[in-house]
Amino acid sequence: MGFTLKVEGPNTIELGTTGITSVKFRADIPHDSNARSTDLGSTVEITGKILTAVDGDPFDGTRQLGLWSLVPAEKADCYRKAEIQVIAASQVVRKFTFPNAFVVDYKEDYGDTEGVGTFRLIIKQKKDKMAQIAVEGGYSV
Amino acid sequence: MGLRLKIEGNEQISLPETSIMSVQFGADIPHDSNARSTDLGSTAQIRGKILAAVGGEAADDTSKIARWALVPAENADCYRKVEIDVVSASQIVRQITIPNAFVVDYEEDFSDETGTGVFTLLIKQKKDKMAALKFEGGFSGE
Repeated sequence: MGFTLKVEGPNTIELGTTGITSVKFRADIPHDSNARSTDLGSTVEITGKILTAVDGDPFDGTRQLGLWSLVPAEKADCYRKAEIQVIAASQVVRKFTFPNAFVVDYKEDYGDTEGVGTFRLIIKQKKDKMAQIAVEGGYSV
Repeated sequence: MGLRLKIEGNEQISLPETSIMSVQFGADIPHDSNARSTDLGSTAQIRGKILAAVGGEAADDTSKIARWALVPAENADCYRKVEIDVVSASQIVRQITIPNAFVVDYEEDFSDETGTGVFTLLIKQKKDKMAALKFEGGFSGE
């Protein structure tokens, strides 16, 4: 299973199948509701590797993710368009589009035993723009 | 033991035994009541695989469940009829029909180590319609 992440804002951040290790998509709905709640949200958690560029390759986009997580709320570009694809057997199993995503958590982890660092990015769609989320999939690449 | 899931609303969602991994059905009753409580609810948790289509077959219906989880409460389509079948040795061990089910949690999990994704769907019956929930089983099927 391969994953790609594309974040469009003032600049485009792209991470490919070599960098991302897992994707979790979640709908956030209060568990204690007696009927369908209007308090609906959605979260995506992405984990991956921070790869070092060799042979003159360009650096991966993870540093840009770190910079995005530090953009203050006063600036419009804290909201960006995120697109996540899950690809298996030449099929796009899922394509999640979050047009107004913002960062709720970003963490980078480094140790002396692993050759690469890891990152964990948690993004949410702006809650009043939930209708704009698109979940597609089931077509060939 | 084979598990099947059928969801009927504006669209039909059907997942066969190759997809569904586990079903947990339970009654939600306050544990601290001194006598039989009227505050009765019911929750079902369904876990299954998100399979990639091979050999030109159609994609599975799991993406429709993801879209159902995002239907706002203002839309009547957020309540759907869910039928869960537990089949074993040509017998329908359980047939649980939840006629006004709504989603309280939905999660999809993908990783580069597993070949398939995993979804977890948590649904409840609308609490004022608890009497309409059907809990059947013990008859032959197939």
